[in-house]
Amino acid sequence: MITTADIYPVLPELFLAVAAMALLMYGVFRGDKSTGSCSWLAVLALIVTGVIMSLLPENAESAFRGQFVVDQFARFMKWLVLLGSALAVVMSMNYNAREQIERFEFPVLILFASLGMLLMVSANDLISLYVGLELQSLALYVIAAFRRDSTKSSEAGLKYFVLGALSSGMLLYGASMIYGFAGTTRFDALAALFTGPSADPGVGVVVGLVFLLAGLAFKVSAVPFHMWTPDVYEGAPTPVTAFFAVAPKIAAIALLVRTMVGPFGELFAQWQQIIVFISIASMLLGALAAIWQTNIKRLLAYSSIGHIGYALVGLAAGSEEGIRGIGVYMAIYLAMNVGTFCCVLSMRRQGVLAEGIDDLAGLARNHPMMAAAMAIFMFSMAGIPPLAGFFGKLYVFMAAVNEGLYVLAIIGVLTSVIGAFYYLRIVKIMYFDEPADAFDRTAGREIGAIMAVAGMFTLLFFVFPSPIVEGAGQAAAVLFASG
Amino acid sequence: MILQAISFYAFAAVTVAAAVMVISARNPVHSVLFLILAFFNAAGLFVLMGAEFIAMILVIVYVGAVAVLFLFVVMMLDINFVELRQGFLQYLPIGALVGLVLLAELVLILGSWAIAPDTASRAAAPTPAITETTNTHAIGQVLYTDYIYLFQAAGLILLIAMIGAIVLTLRSREGVKRQRISDQVGRTREESVEVRHVEPGSGV
Amino acid sequence: MYALAIFLPLVGAILAGFGGRALGDRGAQIVTSGCMLISAVLGCIILAEVGLGGNPQTVELFSWINSGAFEVNWTLRFDTLTAVMVFVVTVVSSMVHVYSIGYMSHDPHIPRFMSYLSFFTFFMLMLVTADNLLQMFFGWEGVGLCSYLLIGFWYEKPEANAAAIKAFVVNRVGDFGFALGIMGVFLMFNSISFETIFAAAPGKADATIQFLGFEAHALTTLCILLFIGAMGKSAQLGLHTWLPDAMEGPTPVSALIHAATMVTAGVFMVARLSPLFEYAPDALTLVTIVGATTCLFAATVALTQTDIKRVIAYSTCSQLGYMFFACGVSAYSAGIFHLTTHAFFKALLFLGAGSVIHAMSSEQDMRRMGGIWKMIPVTYTLMWIGSLALAGIPFFAGFYSKDLIIEAAFGANTSVGMYAFWMGIIAAILTAFYSWRLIIMTFHGESRADEKTLAHVHESPKVMLIPLLVLAVGAIFSGFVGYAYFAGDNMNAFWGDSIFVLPGTDPIAAAKQVPAWVITLPIVVAVVGIGAAYYAYMAKPDLPGLLAERFQGTYKFLLNKWYFDELYDFLFVRPAHRLGRNLWKDGDGAVIDGLGPDGVASAARYLAQKVASMQSGYVYHYAFAMLIGVAGIVTWYLVVGSGG
Repeated sequence: MITTADIYPVLPELFLAVAAMALLMYGVFRGDKSTGSCSWLAVLALIVTGVIMSLLPENAESAFRGQFVVDQFARFMKWLVLLGSALAVVMSMNYNAREQIERFEFPVLILFASLGMLLMVSANDLISLYVGLELQSLALYVIAAFRRDSTKSSEAGLKYFVLGALSSGMLLYGASMIYGFAGTTRFDALAALFTGPSADPGVGVVVGLVFLLAGLAFKVSAVPFHMWTPDVYEGAPTPVTAFFAVAPKIAAIALLVRTMVGPFGELFAQWQQIIVFISIASMLLGALAAIWQTNIKRLLAYSSIGHIGYALVGLAAGSEEGIRGIGVYMAIYLAMNVGTFCCVLSMRRQGVLAEGIDDLAGLARNHPMMAAAMAIFMFSMAGIPPLAGFFGKLYVFMAAVNEGLYVLAIIGVLTSVIGAFYYLRIVKIMYFDEPADAFDRTAGREIGAIMAVAGMFTLLFFVFPSPIVEGAGQAAAVLFASG
Repeated sequence: MILQAISFYAFAAVTVAAAVMVISARNPVHSVLFLILAFFNAAGLFVLMGAEFIAMILVIVYVGAVAVLFLFVVMMLDINFVELRQGFLQYLPIGALVGLVLLAELVLILGSWAIAPDTASRAAAPTPAITETTNTHAIGQVLYTDYIYLFQAAGLILLIAMIGAIVLTLRSREGVKRQRISDQVGRTREESVEVRHVEPGSGV
Repeated sequence: MYALAIFLPLVGAILAGFGGRALGDRGAQIVTSGCMLISAVLGCIILAEVGLGGNPQTVELFSWINSGAFEVNWTLRFDTLTAVMVFVVTVVSSMVHVYSIGYMSHDPHIPRFMSYLSFFTFFMLMLVTADNLLQMFFGWEGVGLCSYLLIGFWYEKPEANAAAIKAFVVNRVGDFGFALGIMGVFLMFNSISFETIFAAAPGKADATIQFLGFEAHALTTLCILLFIGAMGKSAQLGLHTWLPDAMEGPTPVSALIHAATMVTAGVFMVARLSPLFEYAPDALTLVTIVGATTCLFAATVALTQTDIKRVIAYSTCSQLGYMFFACGVSAYSAGIFHLTTHAFFKALLFLGAGSVIHAMSSEQDMRRMGGIWKMIPVTYTLMWIGSLALAGIPFFAGFYSKDLIIEAAFGANTSVGMYAFWMGIIAAILTAFYSWRLIIMTFHGESRADEKTLAHVHESPKVMLIPLLVLAVGAIFSGFVGYAYFAGDNMNAFWGDSIFVLPGTDPIAAAKQVPAWVITLPIVVAVVGIGAAYYAYMAKPDLPGLLAERFQGTYKFLLNKWYFDELYDFLFVRPAHRLGRNLWKDGDGAVIDGLGPDGVASAARYLAQKVASMQSGYVYHYAFAMLIGVAGIVTWYLVVGSGG
């Protein structure tokens, strides 16, 4: 039965769903002319969702027979997701208009994708996990192929769809095995089942967990389930890539954390090995494969694989400190990536979007502010103190060291040194190479503003990190309070 | 009981065999037909478990709609499937190896299949005895109450699928003739018929 | 209001620094000077409220770092000590800002200069308002950075660059001590907030630290480390070599940074940390000895220098020595008193020297000056006021503060106190002597400048003279007015809890009970010094040359500043170069590069190529990779075991 107690926790999601459908109707009746207003309305809807979320009481609540849960962790991650989505919508407007793919479905699909992410973050049951994931993924498949007249974009969408379906299959297979061996899909029931001295999860549950993990690892693009990432990043329209790089990653990693720490917290010894493995593999691949890239979007794809590897270090630690590190890392990751993609979106020459790294040559002379912003993001991604990226890494590595995972931390530091090579190469190209032609100054004020804000955040994070660190700390605490 | 066991193995064996044929048949039309066969047998397995509602849904939706749609698509598109399958043999050995390893492992796990004795009691919505109610009724009872959240979310997924299909395929072409019913109905005699007096012997 | 006083200079710096092109030269000057002047007014109000009203404040801004027990907040702490410093910094800085409008009017980089000045002021204010050691360190490093930027402001001049680097590197030595001190404090007290450590200090009075098998008195060790930081910043003996070279920067910079504010940060730090130092008597002894020695040493060197700014720079060094030994004998309030009066008269002297240099077409060598006092009478008068204050002639500012320090040293009644007392007396003679040497060589006698320069000598514009007048008022009256509060009857009410002296001792009271000869001696020696200078440079101008020839060894020794630079060059700089070269060529180039970066880089490139080539673009390759991944992990579990 539905009661008001069920409705309150899902109020933000409910609003977002209704707003998305209303916006869909508005768009259908007004046609593609309305894309601009649709986009702004979508941003408004995301903001209102956030406002509703902040107005609701702050304690942990579950609804719909425990299928849905809201707690500090969910709120923290939802904030990041909503922020990422809203920024992605703003960043897309100018681009879509210029590329003549301005269609009102775009903001609507982003809204639905964000809705899916919110459901993922709040999932407290294997079924709601899957449903949220599919809601998000399906919308993402479509917007990856949004520029349907470009073969690259269609190819990106199709590849993402096929591989995504495969990963969903694995995830479902794993979920059904867990259900078969445990007899329940609810997270709290699963957690209860594995606690206690006589609890024996059995090899079946563990293998199910492996499949489940494989499905989730695909969504965060961790090695070896990452292969789609570079192709999709390169093929998809740039604002879509920016969106992919940020919001879905945050939602998926939140889901991964909740699934691992919540129901399977007692199986830590089992899944820790997998996480350590995919974390190391992701860090290595992210650092190595990016070196030879010539396309900036592809490079950023590998960079995001590497970043996910670093974030997973926090999960591998499995401690409250580690989860806090992930929260901090993802917040910083959001700022750095949004800023970087704003720069990429500004790379337009004679009306054509430039994507080569060489196109950045001599940027410092033609566009000093943009070059400075880009340099900040690159230094930050390389983890050079005192920029934000350094602190993100610091928190997860510290957690790993405190849990005795020295090898993991050392590999992390080594790979970030290798990774620094290609980030700094971009800086070198911008500042020391012979300038190419100047870019058009058509990116729009919104892009410039986002770039500036993200740059300031990255630069000044160390001055007052406490809101984010404390927010992440509370988020992490709630996951460990019950278990 | 014996009858049930025999039916189970028959259905299961045919399902697996049909599935193998789906991927190995040379003619894509045959593949789709084997797929339909696999669906039917899967439906049979569901019936054996007492899940007649799902069995019927499988037949109606998958066989009746999905597979037939496949068939249309396969027949309408001119795709050289032989060419697509060229890589198949090249990767067969390693593919088979991975497949076999995975299969062996799964068999090993299923060999240790042990449902905890109280698993059934943990189920969120225990299946009522078939004598009490039909499972259509039972599903209906929980689907819109306990699982309303998942149901609605699934509805949204379908909505997105629809939007996606439209976004990726609908094109507004110039010069397409459309029926405009209101215009048709609103036509008057004066606009459509003109009476002319024609001189006999001369053309119009 | 409190936060506003601190952040207005930052606002000015940001506006002038980033908007310099939009604002133009004039705009940048107005914005920065305007912000500074408002800030100075606020600084006066703060002094009135906090110091005179006895109303300490803390302003919480936001929390900064929060990691385990290590908690740091951005907090502005306003007690009397801070209020005095805020007052001095904002007033002197605003005067220097205004002065710079005139002095730098021909420079092509005005917005940059004004922005740096304001930025420096912001960091200085952060330093003095710090509520914990880390925030203080933030300000500390910030002023160091600004000092570097401003010394090297004329970056086309190689000497300026070299001086900037020297200042930075020498300060690094001190900062290393400071940083170690902070870590040590955290180790001992588990906190770096002043409030907490001051409260806990008495309990740790007997604690010891183990280091490499040595057992040392903990607070003494910490205080010495922190004092090393102060020595670097305040140019005390050993780490003083950067200060004279820093005179390569524009003169307003010398007045603001290298006379009135930054170099006094060390004294401020010792006074601020008085609750720690009080429990470390050995550290205080060291402070006294270093301060007294510097006091004499710098005064002797100042006798022989011919560059007008360098004379004043060594004089600053010497006066800082006074302040330190005042702190060393626990007379912190006397030290801070001298810091305040010194800020006024030394800024006055520097800016006056700047005015002279301005008049003499950028000539700084006193041997090519002379006989110009009639041409620039206002500057001449102001230099007299500054020198009278510096020499400690009665009723000028320096008289009150310097004599108080000398008396406190005597009143301490310890052997180091006596040492400091005699050093202070000798330095006082020398101070008077070199001050009048400077005045006479610059303004009197036959002019030694060339025709062209002489024809060009002119009084400075009003925008430069008005700040000088304001500072002159300070140089005359600040001692007389401040005495009652800093050391007189209202002393206890004024300082409140901001300075801590061990209960039962009162160095200021002791200073007031010294015999009469101790009180009169400094005045007498000052007059003797002036007379000697008059005799040597005015009445018998060839005497100094004769003396120099007669005592050539001593003269050379002093002229070369006791050979400190040569000693450091021999001991540290050249061996460091040699070591660096060897490490670079053999160690780094051959061994580390070969195995490390170059080797790793080539391996990384090779691997990167392999990895990139795996990305074939075929969907079934990708799907296959995923399947292999899953199969691999499952196999891992079944073969190796599930770990748990």
